[in-house]
Amino acid sequence: MTTELIRAKSLRKTYGRDTVALDGVDFTVGRGRIVGLMGPNGAGKTTALKAILGLTPFDGELTVLGRDPRRERDALMQDVCFIADVAVLPKWLRVSQALDYVAGVHPRFDRKRAESVLDKTEVRPRSKVAELSKGMITQLHLALIMAIDAKLLVLDEPTLGLDLLYRRSFYEALLNDYFDHERTILVTTHQVEEVEHLLTDLLFINHGRIVLDAAVENLSNLYAQLVTTAENAVAVRAARPIYEREVFGRHAFIFERGAIDAVAALGELRTPSIADLFVATMSRSAS
Amino acid sequence: MTPTTFITLLKRESWEHRSLFWVPLVTATLIVLTAIISTNVAGSINVELDGDDVNFFATLSQDGRAQAELFGVWMSSLIIPIIAVTLVVLFFYLLDSLYAERKDRSILFWKSLPVSDGATVLSKAAMALVAVPLWVWLLSLVTGLLVFAIVAVKVSGSPIAPLGNFHFGTWIVLQLTLLQNLFIASLWYAPIAAYLLLVSVWAKRAPFLWAVLPPALLIFFEKIAFDSSYVAKVVGRRLSGYFEAIGPSMRIDTDEAGTATLIDSIRQAYEGLSAASLLAEPAIYLGLAVAAIMVFVSIRLRRWRDDA
Repeated sequence: MTTELIRAKSLRKTYGRDTVALDGVDFTVGRGRIVGLMGPNGAGKTTALKAILGLTPFDGELTVLGRDPRRERDALMQDVCFIADVAVLPKWLRVSQALDYVAGVHPRFDRKRAESVLDKTEVRPRSKVAELSKGMITQLHLALIMAIDAKLLVLDEPTLGLDLLYRRSFYEALLNDYFDHERTILVTTHQVEEVEHLLTDLLFINHGRIVLDAAVENLSNLYAQLVTTAENAVAVRAARPIYEREVFGRHAFIFERGAIDAVAALGELRTPSIADLFVATMSRSAS
Repeated sequence: MTPTTFITLLKRESWEHRSLFWVPLVTATLIVLTAIISTNVAGSINVELDGDDVNFFATLSQDGRAQAELFGVWMSSLIIPIIAVTLVVLFFYLLDSLYAERKDRSILFWKSLPVSDGATVLSKAAMALVAVPLWVWLLSLVTGLLVFAIVAVKVSGSPIAPLGNFHFGTWIVLQLTLLQNLFIASLWYAPIAAYLLLVSVWAKRAPFLWAVLPPALLIFFEKIAFDSSYVAKVVGRRLSGYFEAIGPSMRIDTDEAGTATLIDSIRQAYEGLSAASLLAEPAIYLGLAVAAIMVFVSIRLRRWRDDA
């Protein structure tokens, strides 16, 4: 049994004649991982997700749970859940109807579980979605999704437009009550700080290309951050760091691991934060 | 797709489009209220019949078959306003059914669940062509019984008392005929329903205009360019064909007709109650084939459309 849940090879998608959303992308997603697919707006994140979910045609090879999302979408969706963003539950739907509906169409939905999750919130069964706040709609959607025994959960900017409290509790519930190392989560966001503590893998994408593909536990083997003084900065810069920033007179450089040895003695070595690495790889791929 | 899934999909439609049920219900209620009010306002019954009508009702009281046929004809007419109103509601329902979900982006929620595009589109067609017609039939059945009860109480002991006799056999046959008529109506209107689904799944905005303008422009340009009206005839026949088929029941000329002619025309109207004549027209099968193609295209479009 393979541990690869998703395998993409030369995945390519163009809109019209000129817009290349995905430019021959290769990546894999392993079972039991929490993968952050991150990039600036328009980088191709949502297109990649749509391809994985069988929502859009594409060129190249892509298998999700061993299936081709283009041809076997209906079977695939038994094992895959997704939250597109907070706005997609229809306004006319009542909470009780949402439960009835998912219970009616999804063989692996545990209604009691969804109800017990909702009991801890302000969301009442008789309420219509139109009467709920954005945060409550997300709670409802999450309660529905968490009660489905799926193998892959895809989240596309799930906390967009939510205040900090709801964003926190969203990811806490996901991590504490849902994720169990059998399940796999693929999340896109452009708010890196929000998810960096929960990811096991990083996929950075920019201009339709993967610019970084790494497990978080390997980051220290791949990248290093060197913090040094202004006097040493010129020498360090000569070793071709991929990114530099200045904070309170201190200079922080990010290197690929192999390139740093010559200058390592000139400052303090650290593993870069995901947010710094994100900015570093994005600014490099932009130039 | 399991039966539970499909029933859930139909329920979903009824939650979103509650007017599909309450508009026919309100219409049926109005018919019953009209019957109550019109008999109450008239107070105690005082029927004055002139010569021909005296003869007519005298003959009718002797002629059980004619009585039953008249009973069938007037009972059947009660369904017509309910059907007419329901057609309007269904028109807007179908136009909205695959458009609203894209407009409010809820399509991404529906598509996050294991329901195929085929099941979704078919559930909307089944709602319009099966579930709602059954509801109309049930309403007309109850409406007929209520209106009959009101009339029967009112006319008892009057010269027009034969109108108050209940003809059980005729009633059963009538209900089955009406059910069959609604089924035929669904077959006849299937291409229009499928066309509306297609516009609904395709239009980026203003589905009403996209549904109405192309045929209107086509008719207009055909008239200008070829001075013919072939399209208009096809569209017109498709819209009115069902009502023409059940039409004779609505054309009883009670004036200037002798008793014998009147009873004859009732007989004709009764025998014309069934819309089964439409089943002999090739147009109904051609229409079904076109409908099947348009439903198939709608399913493909919903599957691959990527603009939510």
